[in-house]
Amino acid sequence: MPPAGRDGKWVRRDLGPVVRPYAVTGGRTEPADGEVLDLVAVVVAVGRDSEAGDDPIRQTPEHRKILRLCQRPVTVADIASDTALPVGVVRVLLADLILEEAVRVVRNRPAVQLPGNDVLKEILNGLRAL
Amino acid sequence: MGSARSDGTDGAGGVSDAADAQMLAAHKILIAGGFGAGKTTLVSAISEVRPLLTEERLSSAGAGLDDLRGVASKTTTTVAMDFGRITISERLVLYLFGVPGQERFWFMWDELAYGALGAVVLADVRRLRDCFPSVNYFETRSLPFVVAINCFDDARRYDPEEVRVALDLDPGVPALLCDARQLSSVKNVLTTLVESISAEDQNPRRMASALPPV
Repeated sequence: MPPAGRDGKWVRRDLGPVVRPYAVTGGRTEPADGEVLDLVAVVVAVGRDSEAGDDPIRQTPEHRKILRLCQRPVTVADIASDTALPVGVVRVLLADLILEEAVRVVRNRPAVQLPGNDVLKEILNGLRAL
Repeated sequence: MGSARSDGTDGAGGVSDAADAQMLAAHKILIAGGFGAGKTTLVSAISEVRPLLTEERLSSAGAGLDDLRGVASKTTTTVAMDFGRITISERLVLYLFGVPGQERFWFMWDELAYGALGAVVLADVRRLRDCFPSVNYFETRSLPFVVAINCFDDARRYDPEEVRVALDLDPGVPALLCDARQLSSVKNVLTTLVESISAEDQNPRRMASALPPV
């Protein structure tokens, strides 16, 4: 049982969000486009930022928050971490934005084939430079 | 160069659409090992550690462990995990995902392993058995991996070769000592992994790890 505060309310922040995770998706657990984005899939906003606010979907604070993060190319994992939303929820909300053409997928899954030697060499050099 | 280190604030600000496909590629490396083997320590020695909530579907893996009585409609469970982010360059980022070692989390592994560059199995010689499942998993999936033997202060030092024999590793799998707290040591582990991937010479074993997640 978590510790209770003065009003008998749970106070520890790390107990997680008060709202059930999928409440922000309206109970939907599947991405509307049926595509499960990888944790390191890269997405970016399509850049019609001035129109934001007209669309009912984008009215939810979570959609808007995600759209803001997508102003530069960003991975699904970073979005989930930045919004503190579970990955599954981020996938559902991202799919809405993708169907709406507000966001597009730059890269879904990492290449099935090994990256080329030039990329591996770049990674090696980058690691050595840390 | 310190600038290569991830600080989570890329500051790239409006990258133009023209840059597009060239602009960002992200690669995954998995960090596996038993509970308390030092996965989070290793990740935080070399990168900024960020929290991640995964809301996973309950599968048969959780059956018997997750008590569903009275919550028959509950089909997902939340798993908290960490990941590390290393900025290699403006368009190349490396993600380190600590993989929960306990078997009940195995349903998450396929997704994490899909398309991953490779894996580090962090071994604690006092509980070498804990990393058997990880070794088996990566061998079965033909995902390139290295075994890093975390040198805990109070643990007897073993020769990596002894550990190699104990784990029955294939000759091509590097095994090396490391100190998961030290940046230089962790760098050595990761570069050893990436070098071993290069050495594999693009052979077809990669395909086996390309199974879609279940």
